[in-house]
Amino acid sequence: MSRLGLNSPRIIGVGRCAVLAASFWSVNSWGLGPDAPTAKVTFNRDIAPIVYHYCAACHRPGEAGPFPLLTYQDVKSHGRQIMAVTHTRFMPPWPPEPGTLKYADERRLSDQQIATIKAWVDQGMLEGKASDLPPRPKFVEGWQLGQPDLILKAEKPYTLPASGGDQYWNFILPVPINETKWVRAVEIRPGDKRLVHHANMLVDRNQSARHMEKDPGSGFGGMEVRIESEVFDPDSHFLFWKPGTVATSEPDGMALRLDKGTDLVLNAHLQPSGKPEAIQPSVGLYFTDKPATVHPMLLEMQNDGALDIPAGAKDFVVTDEFKLPIDVDLMGIYPHAHYLGKDILATAELPDGTTKTLIHIKRWDLNWQAVYRYAEPVSLPKGTTITMRYSYDNSEDNTANPNHPPARVQGGNRSTDEMAHLWLQVLPKSASPDAGDPRMVLQEAWARHEVEKAPSIFEAHYNLAEMLQRRGALDEAIVQFQAAASIRPNDPVANNALGGALLAQGDVEGAVQRFQSSIAAQPDYFDAHYNLGNALASQENFQGAAEQFGDAVRLNPEDASAQANLGTALAQLGRLTEAKSHYEAALRIDPSNQLARENLLQLEQMLRENPH
Amino acid sequence: MAAAMLVVTLLHAAPGLGVPAPAFMRAGASASNTPKSVVAQDLAGKAVNPFDAATGKPVVFIFVRTDCPISNRYAPTIKALSQKYAGAAEMMLVYPDKAETSANIKKHLQEYGYKIAALQDPQHALVKLGRVEITPEVAVFNGKRELIYHGRIDNWYKEFGQARSAPTTHELDDAIQAALNSNHPAPASVSGVGCYISDLR
Repeated sequence: MSRLGLNSPRIIGVGRCAVLAASFWSVNSWGLGPDAPTAKVTFNRDIAPIVYHYCAACHRPGEAGPFPLLTYQDVKSHGRQIMAVTHTRFMPPWPPEPGTLKYADERRLSDQQIATIKAWVDQGMLEGKASDLPPRPKFVEGWQLGQPDLILKAEKPYTLPASGGDQYWNFILPVPINETKWVRAVEIRPGDKRLVHHANMLVDRNQSARHMEKDPGSGFGGMEVRIESEVFDPDSHFLFWKPGTVATSEPDGMALRLDKGTDLVLNAHLQPSGKPEAIQPSVGLYFTDKPATVHPMLLEMQNDGALDIPAGAKDFVVTDEFKLPIDVDLMGIYPHAHYLGKDILATAELPDGTTKTLIHIKRWDLNWQAVYRYAEPVSLPKGTTITMRYSYDNSEDNTANPNHPPARVQGGNRSTDEMAHLWLQVLPKSASPDAGDPRMVLQEAWARHEVEKAPSIFEAHYNLAEMLQRRGALDEAIVQFQAAASIRPNDPVANNALGGALLAQGDVEGAVQRFQSSIAAQPDYFDAHYNLGNALASQENFQGAAEQFGDAVRLNPEDASAQANLGTALAQLGRLTEAKSHYEAALRIDPSNQLARENLLQLEQMLRENPH
Repeated sequence: MAAAMLVVTLLHAAPGLGVPAPAFMRAGASASNTPKSVVAQDLAGKAVNPFDAATGKPVVFIFVRTDCPISNRYAPTIKALSQKYAGAAEMMLVYPDKAETSANIKKHLQEYGYKIAALQDPQHALVKLGRVEITPEVAVFNGKRELIYHGRIDNWYKEFGQARSAPTTHELDDAIQAALNSNHPAPASVSGVGCYISDLR
């Protein structure tokens, strides 16, 4: 009896051990046939198939696992540890509860497999007959999909300190291409995989994250990255790495577009190992000549505004609900909370009244956050209500609580703040061939939902205004831009956008004022100078217009439209020779610029008729 | 009941011989467990008594593995404590994996920047003496060579995969204080979280 007590892993209560042992014998007698009660569990026959399938992909040299699990000796030397971590389902990491919807690459042990591992350890970890050992799994070495068409490598490594809590580092990877490329696959190599818990890559089409770097190429810290975009170009693909991720090719027609001047931003979650480590990720891009024909979209549900969690609260709940305005296919899902997250649930209630559980994680662990792709797309018709319901534990019971003693925590981007986000990768379906881009319908409905939920949030109004303006609902767009600008009166982007909408509506006076406010807030804002130039020109103030276009050209000499417009303003002022050189510059940059070509011809005519 | 002599044999002397596993001395009182003469093995393969060098100072064994991710993550904590008590207590790393080579251990010490003594314990004599089961766990002996604490370093880890952002109890530090000052009570023994030493038999 005393030996039994000693051999039990201390992580598992003795009472629970007894229950598990009992259930094992009953499972074993069903599972292994008539002679099962006498057959001992062996590594070669019973354990190797489990370890090869569920563990070896990460537990092999060069991968994320801290030790290899490829041989009998490897597994035996961690036997009780394996028993303990499989019992608690810490390993293999697969947080979602089993449900009716299946995910691709599920890595979840059955209760029977867990019981088999325990029996093997309890019976003394027998090796068994050599002839029972299945062949070792074969793994592709190096790049999983062959040599990439383009390899990007972080310019400078980040040195992870030996100790301390989790670290988040963002690497900026400029994409050196001169023309638009279509990407069928992305393989993320995050650096030393033992140190990287997960990595999330974002497409930064405006190089908006670069300004966070202290030195170019050095990257910057922070758990969450904000990518700003001034045009409608929603994110479409999850670019995510976690231990065990195998790069896969997107189906034809689902390629990711990358343009000249795009940065990829790799947000890596790192865990100190006990010694300083250098991390230098690289990314392999695989191109295709087949452009995207279908356009998935990442729909972001969230309710950070409702996160104000009192110290000690054990079950603080926030929700968000969104009703789909069109039919979609749900491809993947990515829940996100920080250290206080506890129970993460997303459901879809269909118009016929049935409910599907999209994901349920009962013990949220930030360290094992992941994107989950469905084995088959989940069809969600128009009128389906998607609900996220997250609960948070801000008590001492939550080991991961960053505050000791617990403190009030609110929504925010820092790792000590909390988040309630749920990204859904959906493929929106057009109602009819001429209904236009269904993503815009979805985006407008989402933006409207955000405004209703959080009327004091700048981005909500701005995003809705942008969608309204794009479909020509100018009056309503102006109302929303005004709401955004009243929340942030000095925001250069909002003032510029509002000016643009007013100009389109014919309110030149109002537009000029807004462009001037924008420039006052950000004197090097190209768009505002360009727009103000246009507004002044429409008032026939060509002197003012020439000054603004001149500023625009100084800020961006490679913009053909600014060069051409400066040419026109100067021509109106009678400065024909100067005007000519700017038209020529415009055509050098963009030989297809029709306006510049026609104006230049007219100008040359004038110069011939009226030479100096 | 007294363990008169626990001998840690040389690495190559008894490779995997079926030595009957002695009963773990979990129940014995610490006083009855006082080691009179204990021999471990240094990285050159030479038998040494880890208590000789201590000359009456407290002795701390810290059990680690080269491939245990949790004991590795403790390296900065172990180094900080060894600096704090340099000269006052003898702290030693103990590697209980009989399959581990001294060359690999030296590499491990260098990579993690350890500057304290390291011993090998292939037959688990120190494991038994210190009544430890996990890497990383520690055994703290006072100047009278009485085992006054064995167990975790602190409460950083609650379970596999469940680490606090920082520990809130510091058992090893408290135990060394107790070993240095008999008025200071020794902490209660609490098991560590990490890799099971019994897997290495």
